[in-house]
Amino acid sequence: MTEHADVGLKTYWVTWGILLGLTLVMVGLDQAPMSRQLFVVLMLAAMLVKATLIAGTFMHLRVERVAFVLMVVVGLFVNSLILFGLIVPDAFRILEMNQVTP
Amino acid sequence: METTAHIADRWGGGTCPFDAGWKKVMMWSFIVTDGLLFAGFLGGYGYARTMATVWPDQATVFTLPFIAAMTFVLISSSATMASAVWSARHNQRAAAVRYVWLTLAGAVLFLGMQAYEWTHLINEGATLSSNPWGDPLFGAYFFVTTGFHGSHVLIGAIVLLVLGINLARGRTTTENVEMAGLYWHFVDLVWVFIFTCYYLL
Repeated sequence: MTEHADVGLKTYWVTWGILLGLTLVMVGLDQAPMSRQLFVVLMLAAMLVKATLIAGTFMHLRVERVAFVLMVVVGLFVNSLILFGLIVPDAFRILEMNQVTP
Repeated sequence: METTAHIADRWGGGTCPFDAGWKKVMMWSFIVTDGLLFAGFLGGYGYARTMATVWPDQATVFTLPFIAAMTFVLISSSATMASAVWSARHNQRAAAVRYVWLTLAGAVLFLGMQAYEWTHLINEGATLSSNPWGDPLFGAYFFVTTGFHGSHVLIGAIVLLVLGINLARGRTTTENVEMAGLYWHFVDLVWVFIFTCYYLL
């Protein structure tokens, strides 16, 4: 096993600052006047950026070998996407049924 | 840049394609499978939320600044844990021990804040099967998901306590600090999703 490239101490605290800033922006946007669709898209985008920062920097995925990163990404995110892709249409179908049925 | 021969050598069997020790591979395998558990919770929550006609308004149920403070505590503890790993890697044991204790303090503080939040909601009338704000499934999803996450924080706090003691006595390895760090960052990672989906959306 070879030694991986290190992530600097300063990088961790810069990442902490960005995560904190993103959290404050998310909380601030909660009261901002905007459409529901835009709000959802912005929140999900901020969530994914935060998750990527934590996994990439704190968990060192950005300095791991590509095969290792693929194991995690394919294992976790693709399986999650399949899960959500299968249940979301059904949830909307039942919502429509509830709205039609008195 | 890796040559084809090098890649073929690594994937030829009996070598180390991930270039990682068994502890790290096993910890990441656990993280992936445990992450799928939480993905199931979030998927189920999204399902219930989408098909519900009346879902409780988060602004009514939760005190968002308090939840933001909980998030601040967890993010900060993740930064101190990363610093503990860095210090351990650079043979700065005293600093690593200090950072581990700071991380443990964050874990205990987060658990206290979550206990306060739960107590408040239960006093308001929220249970696993009912709540005063809308769809009864809200309580079930909220308590089960945050409860599972809280149990992960509790386990993490115990791991950090044992790690801190062993590290202070010089009875553990840098690799063990890294594994505890991976687990703790995963707990933070899951909270990012819970915070967004349960408290903001």
